[in-house]
Amino acid sequence: MKLWLILALAFAACNEPRGVVLWHAYSDQERTALEANAAAWNSTHPDTPLTLVFVPHDAFADKLSSAIPRGNGPDLFIYPQDRIGDWADAGVIEPLEFWVDDARADRFAEDALGAMTYRDSLWGLPFAQKTLALYYRTDLVAQPPNTTDELLALAPAMRARHGFALAYANVDLYGHSPWLHGFGGRVMDDAGKLAIATPEAAAAMTFARELVTTGAVPDDAQDPLVASLFNEGRAATAMAGPYFAANIADGVPWKVAPLPIISATGKPAAPFASTEGVLMSARAANKATAFAVMDFLTQDRQAKVRALRGHQIVPNAVLGTDPELVEDKVISAFTRQLAHVVPMPKGSGMRVVWTPYRTALGDVLSGRAEPYQRLVKLEGEIAGYAERK
Amino acid sequence: MSDPRGPVVQRQLRDFVAAAIVALAIATAAFVAERNAELADHQLDLAARAMQQLVATRTEVPSAHAAIVEPAIASSRHPFLRHRRAFDGSGSRPLATGPDDKLLYDAANRVERTGAFAELLPDGSGRALAGKPGEGKQIVVVVTDPGSPAPFPLLVIVGVLGLGAALAAAGALIGRRAARVGTFAGVASLAIPAILWHSPIAATAIALVAIATALAQRVGLADRIANSLIRDRVALGFLAPAGLAMLVLVAAPFIIGIVLGFYDHHHGTWTFVGLSNFGEILSGGGRALDDPLNFWFILGVTVLWTACNMVLHVSIGVALALVLSRKWMRGKGVFRMLLILPWAIPNYITALIWHGMFKGEYGAINSLLHAVHLSDVSWFGSFAAGFSANVITNTWLGFPFMMVVALGALETIPRELYEAASVDGASAWQRFRHITLPHLRPALGPAIALGSIWTFNMFNVVQLVSGGKPGDSTNILVTDAYRWAFERGDRYGLAAAYATIIFLILLLWTVFGTRIMRGKEDA
Repeated sequence: MKLWLILALAFAACNEPRGVVLWHAYSDQERTALEANAAAWNSTHPDTPLTLVFVPHDAFADKLSSAIPRGNGPDLFIYPQDRIGDWADAGVIEPLEFWVDDARADRFAEDALGAMTYRDSLWGLPFAQKTLALYYRTDLVAQPPNTTDELLALAPAMRARHGFALAYANVDLYGHSPWLHGFGGRVMDDAGKLAIATPEAAAAMTFARELVTTGAVPDDAQDPLVASLFNEGRAATAMAGPYFAANIADGVPWKVAPLPIISATGKPAAPFASTEGVLMSARAANKATAFAVMDFLTQDRQAKVRALRGHQIVPNAVLGTDPELVEDKVISAFTRQLAHVVPMPKGSGMRVVWTPYRTALGDVLSGRAEPYQRLVKLEGEIAGYAERK
Repeated sequence: MSDPRGPVVQRQLRDFVAAAIVALAIATAAFVAERNAELADHQLDLAARAMQQLVATRTEVPSAHAAIVEPAIASSRHPFLRHRRAFDGSGSRPLATGPDDKLLYDAANRVERTGAFAELLPDGSGRALAGKPGEGKQIVVVVTDPGSPAPFPLLVIVGVLGLGAALAAAGALIGRRAARVGTFAGVASLAIPAILWHSPIAATAIALVAIATALAQRVGLADRIANSLIRDRVALGFLAPAGLAMLVLVAAPFIIGIVLGFYDHHHGTWTFVGLSNFGEILSGGGRALDDPLNFWFILGVTVLWTACNMVLHVSIGVALALVLSRKWMRGKGVFRMLLILPWAIPNYITALIWHGMFKGEYGAINSLLHAVHLSDVSWFGSFAAGFSANVITNTWLGFPFMMVVALGALETIPRELYEAASVDGASAWQRFRHITLPHLRPALGPAIALGSIWTFNMFNVVQLVSGGKPGDSTNILVTDAYRWAFERGDRYGLAAAYATIIFLILLLWTVFGTRIMRGKEDA
């Protein structure tokens, strides 16, 4: 009898209506804001509940690549555009233009929507934009530095107090990207081909190395150390994304400004801009309902909730002039920074760039390799990985 | 008086049932493969006919939804938003609201992009989706209704099993050689449906099962197995869950891993490439010998890593065990507990702590160096420093195991030996060399063999402490395999081949290394 009961319960559980499952890697305020969005959907759609599943960022992409082709994984997920080409080619994600009309598309900023396109199809709805800007402590820096020379001028005073002019994740390509683009370098050209080994990219690496050797920035800093130095007053400025605001301790006086102009080139430091989109699995159980959820989450009202509660830079065009958002010091500074960014490449093959580039940056910053020679080797290595793509 | 043929027939049927279960599993696999192929052929043929009929007569065939799709009209504001009209059985209409419209729309886009195609949808529904260029810029697309696969031929199987059982029983009744012929014929009868399902491989496999069963009967193996199963059924019952778990969690992934080494993975598709992955690894991939991505360089680092660790683990572990075994030592229990702690903490936590301590100028290690007026060490700035950081961490993790093993072995050494040696005037070193060490060897040998295998594959420490820095030079084989799988373009096949090579190296070490150590002990 007990066995039959258990079997009956198991059977009933298997037939439970599934709703829509969304994977995300948000934490802190971003997560809270997304949960508010989900609660809003669930209150009006009890028959098709939205279930949020947090998946750590490190394992996120690999889990999706493994799970979806086998019919597992989420219906929806949130991810930046750099894997769109790869996943579109592999049939992991669903094209969306069938459901999207001009009115829906007009909801989003043009560059954010463009980041979600690949091979003349739309693969996601823009959800949030991420880039880097300059956080500065107003007790250490009265005005944000306008040029890299002004930034470096802070170094002697900061060294005297065992600190740094700037702290940023300097070994990651993402953290290095403002210098790379500010010096005129790139990762890929307009045709999506590798363009890594250039004199401009070598100049950017040389600059990054000088920042370390002159003691203007700490060696091999990651986000936790950057936050720690900034909070302790041992870094006058920090180059980080909007999420960094949540890591600043109470009582620390701070502001955000766009990144400085590279004194050597006269061009603004231009970080990568990534657009996080909500994407649909090609194996989603109920695609029409899943799209309805995507549509709901990216509406202006929900986007504003994420902007105010999660400090997200939302790509909804109408919110650019919303008074509440314009007054937000983080959002307004990052919106200004978005005028000087380079969209993160989304072609198939970008995914194999990150780790080797990090290794090469580590080699150059630690003085183990010369920038140009190392970039030539790096481009050869990445080409070897990418040629199978 | 009972009929002596009864037990003979019972035994015969017992062997037949055991072999028939295996043969039935093989035959079922053959049936499923044939059924799926037939279904795919049927559905794709239906799709082709539907497209043909729509073009020729403007009518649809039953069980398929075909449409002639007009060229896309792009939005003036967003060129990637393209709208299409289609002609199907219900006339000309925009592709927007019908239940199959999304499939037809995407199929038309796909034909424009890559040309004609026909495939089953990957959702397991058995629906076929196809498309091809039509007249002018039109595109013909079709999606079929779900296909219903042929039902399992239960009656056929029951009939064949009955025939097989009858043949086996008849052989038993005739006796002697005919019994084995009956077994073979009975089991092999299950090959007949496999042949009908166009699976010569399955038919051959079933015939081999039949031959093996008959041979097992001939040499009495079948009886011995059956007797031991009956005799030890309680013990086997207890072992069964663990055996099943080993099969699912160890044997299956191991075999799958070995097989994957012969395939190349690209965008979710696996292609058989023979020994190509192994060739690429063993040739160093065309890289210089001192290139950190060359297999032989990494193997050298791995061997050096294992050797350094084992020397440190054993020497520190034995030294601490000797101290803790001294009679004058007070608070032994406390010290023993403290020294075992590193072993008790999960190694990835320890590795992360050490990683933090080695960090730049804010790590605890460099802070200590500052405190004693020494200059910083850039722990991940050179091979020697990065490698040392890994070894220090793993030594912290590894010495307690050797210490515990040595402590146990020291307890077994008779005190009289030391007393006799002291009377004979032996020095402390001579007592250690000629009494302690020989008595430690039998316990330390297997511990070293086990420890060396753990260390050879110590992924957590290398990945979390140095992460291969600087420049991938401190990677060991297992971390490099991980990078090929997840950071260098999803090369799962190459990573699987790496894993197979690592297994073979450790197998050789286990067979010959332990033999060498045993030889030394014997000597």
